[in-house]
Amino acid sequence: MSDLQIASVTKHFGETSVLKGVTLDVKDGEFISLVGPSGCGKSTLLRIIAGLETPTSGNIAIGGINVTQLRAADRNLSMVFQSYALYPHLTVAENIAVPLQMRQMSALQRLPVLGSIVPGARTQKDDIAQAVRHAAEMLEIAALLDRKPGQLSGGQRQRVALGRALVRDPAAFLLDEPLSNLDAKLRVQTRAEIAELHRRLKATFIYVTHDQVEAMTMSDRIAVMMGGEILQCAAPDVIYEDPDDIRVAEFIGSPKINILPVERNGTALTVFDQVLNSRLSIDSPKVMQMGLRPEALQLTQSAPRLTGRVVHLENLGSEVFAQIALDSDGSRVTLRAMPEQRQNLGLGAPVGLSFDLNAAMIFDAGGARLRQVELAATRAAEVA
Amino acid sequence: MTRDWWKHMVLILGTIIVLAPFYMMVSYSFKSPGEIDRGEGGFFGRQEMMIDPRCVALRQPDRADIEAARARFAGQDDASVQASLLAETEADCSMRPVVFNYSKAFTEAPLVRYLLNGVIVTVSIFLIQIVVALPAAYALAKLKFWGRDAVFGLVLFCLLIPVHAIALPLYIGLAKLGLTNTYAALVVPWTISVFGIFLMRQFFMTVPDDLIDAARMDGMSELAIVWRVMLPTAIPALLAFAIFSVVAHWNDYFWPRIVVTGNRDLFTPPLGLREFKGDGDGSFFGPMMATATVIVTPLIVAFLLAQRRFIEGITLSGMK
Amino acid sequence: MVAIDPSLAADVTKPKADNRQARTGWGLAAPALILMFLILLVPIIAAGVLSFTNYSLGNPSFDWVGLQNYERLFTRSTYEKMYVATFTYVVTVVPISVGLGLGAALLVHSLGRIGDIYKTIYFLPVMATLLAMAIAWEFMLHPTIGMVNRTLEMACGTWFEVIPFFADGCAEGFPLWLGDRDYAIWVVCFIGIWQGFGFNMVLFLAGLTSVHRELYHAAEMDGARSGWERFRLVTWPALGPTTVFVVTISCIRAFQVFDTIEAFWPQGGGPNKSAYVMMFAIFEKGIQQNLIGIGSAITMLFLLFVMFLTLIQRWLVERKVHY
Repeated sequence: MSDLQIASVTKHFGETSVLKGVTLDVKDGEFISLVGPSGCGKSTLLRIIAGLETPTSGNIAIGGINVTQLRAADRNLSMVFQSYALYPHLTVAENIAVPLQMRQMSALQRLPVLGSIVPGARTQKDDIAQAVRHAAEMLEIAALLDRKPGQLSGGQRQRVALGRALVRDPAAFLLDEPLSNLDAKLRVQTRAEIAELHRRLKATFIYVTHDQVEAMTMSDRIAVMMGGEILQCAAPDVIYEDPDDIRVAEFIGSPKINILPVERNGTALTVFDQVLNSRLSIDSPKVMQMGLRPEALQLTQSAPRLTGRVVHLENLGSEVFAQIALDSDGSRVTLRAMPEQRQNLGLGAPVGLSFDLNAAMIFDAGGARLRQVELAATRAAEVA
Repeated sequence: MTRDWWKHMVLILGTIIVLAPFYMMVSYSFKSPGEIDRGEGGFFGRQEMMIDPRCVALRQPDRADIEAARARFAGQDDASVQASLLAETEADCSMRPVVFNYSKAFTEAPLVRYLLNGVIVTVSIFLIQIVVALPAAYALAKLKFWGRDAVFGLVLFCLLIPVHAIALPLYIGLAKLGLTNTYAALVVPWTISVFGIFLMRQFFMTVPDDLIDAARMDGMSELAIVWRVMLPTAIPALLAFAIFSVVAHWNDYFWPRIVVTGNRDLFTPPLGLREFKGDGDGSFFGPMMATATVIVTPLIVAFLLAQRRFIEGITLSGMK
Repeated sequence: MVAIDPSLAADVTKPKADNRQARTGWGLAAPALILMFLILLVPIIAAGVLSFTNYSLGNPSFDWVGLQNYERLFTRSTYEKMYVATFTYVVTVVPISVGLGLGAALLVHSLGRIGDIYKTIYFLPVMATLLAMAIAWEFMLHPTIGMVNRTLEMACGTWFEVIPFFADGCAEGFPLWLGDRDYAIWVVCFIGIWQGFGFNMVLFLAGLTSVHRELYHAAEMDGARSGWERFRLVTWPALGPTTVFVVTISCIRAFQVFDTIEAFWPQGGGPNKSAYVMMFAIFEKGIQQNLIGIGSAITMLFLLFVMFLTLIQRWLVERKVHY
């Protein structure tokens, strides 16, 4: 096990550039998720790390050794594929044994029939069987060892694929959307199990997913990718509460963050002509955007900052999400409310909303975070 | 690319062997008999004017011709008139080898008739196969009736029987009915395509039941459903099957050889070619290869134009 | 409005609807069924019955001869030659055309899009009328003016003469090929392979494209470094069902070889009957010589072989169903 460095990796397929210079350091034993919408280059990055594809430029180093020119088989990495990629003609036990056989036994020893006569083959075989059994027990699939992949359920295949990855001791585990072919219930369960496996093995995991919930629940750090770049790489709570970029803010969080247009008039920060504070430096841009998480909005009767009407309600039992069409420009915002507030949220009911400026994130027109403006805004609020 | 050079070497060697007879067939169809005998002239031959010996032999000037021509060659004796006439005939009978070969191919034997027969036979076989197989396939795929599994079992069993293998009893049956040397004899044994039934049934299984129920709600009869709902959905599969069927029967030689004897009017293209070979002497290699080229060309051209569909169609049997 | 007792309605309509569907079902399947019986099953039974008689077309009656026809099939030397020729052909053509088909498919597949041109070329013989191509081959193999011997003669006087075959050929003339009983059947085999391997290649290519690409990546990650290791681990097992199918269909096609042999030797099945295959025997005995009894016996034997082969294939495929 060792750390892993990705240094300004780019990848072009003909004219299209899939990765535009990605740099990322993964510490030993870290669980890192690459998350982003489909086509953001996360799978390509993983395959470049694996050695299944070569980068157009840039380097990959594992444990300080540059492996960019090394082929996949020589990098000592394990991978769990989206389709599981189990060998259909081999039993579960044989599938799990393949990486050990390929690496530990000579070509001669691997020959059918003849191979067993070659000196050392017997003990080799026993060792491998032992290791396979151990991996199977860890994943609770010991009972399935004699079956073929075709006879297994999706969840079981997934475990076998995991087993094949962890039967040897790789420098890192690469997981390419391993849960996307499972049903919702199983996904939640397996999520917990993979996280637990990581804690037990203390190995480096690089986990590719398009599902932000998976990324949020399992990772030490999340790298949010979009358009072939890493926008931000940080711990899950930082990514959620303190995103660097409006695209990160919009991608992470469900329901989506509310974005409202804000403007600077002189030194005043205004939303729909309502002044939020009046101490802005005049260097800050005129047109900006403000992000408010649904839980940052509160229902209020007195002096609401925003007013509107309820147009849609989603009651999840533990909480209620209300979509509110704003009176000012008709745009919709989502509010998270407690179930006991339901009586105030009848369809069509007029509501007033307030929010704490501390919870508001300000971005410039291009989407970059403006922490300076936020600082000024909160200070003003404190004074007020 | 450079890494793959040895692959290209191997494959190109294969290409040479595969294409050699095609090359030779087309090349001979361009050449004069002399060039063929001596093995010269490259691919197209030199295309020097040549004299058709049969044509000359047919128009050998006789006494009456000489008398008739005397006016034109005033003051010459008979021998020189005859020589002049002969020269005229030879001039009339000389042509480029390629023209000679291909015109012979069409005039020595009724090649157009053979080609027409080929079209008639393959098209009627295909149409009857469809008319018979589609309703059966629909019934097997989408209707529930007592005995359906038995019928399907029978279809699976019949898939094992190559029709060529039972040619002899089929021939006896047709002979007993007095049908040998008719179009019927060429078509009848192929009217039932068990494979077609099987194939279309597998295809219909993938058509959603809702589509059929909707058609029933619209008041269509079951037969109307077959032709107006199932047939259009099955066009891609049918096209593949059409190619499979047409190629097989255009190229078939065994069965026509058995049931058509002597009656040239019923010859299919391969039979016509065989006949040509049977009575051709050595000097007729050119026209014979021209005939072969004419027979092979339609399918090859169609194949080159629609390769993917053809490969799909011919390998249909791979779907068993 | 008439009130209908729901239970009654269900009782009455359901069987009725079922009946109607049964009738249309049988109605739609009937033409196919009738033709299946008349064209496929009745002839087999007829051949079975006739194989025990000495029937001839045109004779008013026939005699039962018991197993005499079959006895002949297993005692006469003509039929021994028939088995030898048929099995020589099958045993030669099937493995070589399957092997070449697989090899070509692997090469073509590895070349990607450029490979398609080879695919097109190798498929041409499958499309071409075999009889026409047989005649073309006959010209190619013509002892004096054929392209093959002309090409071989070019080797005379060069270092090729070290090879005994060329030495003999240059001294005493190259083989007559189709007229030589040592070569005849092999030439026929060659043409069979020439014609059939493209078909097998295309089937293998279809099999290859259906192999999931992630399996190759998994094999690479698992440490399969060489192409051979990946072939053993992924490609070959994945092609298993295709191979079984290709072998069976090649066998059945090989058993049915006729066009080339009839084109080369309209009488007698090759020099010294060295290419006297079963289909030709059926044609010659049953149709040309009007010996229906013996022709039927060969037909039955032939059907037995073919069905046996197909059943083996089905069994092999069933066994692998748990993929």
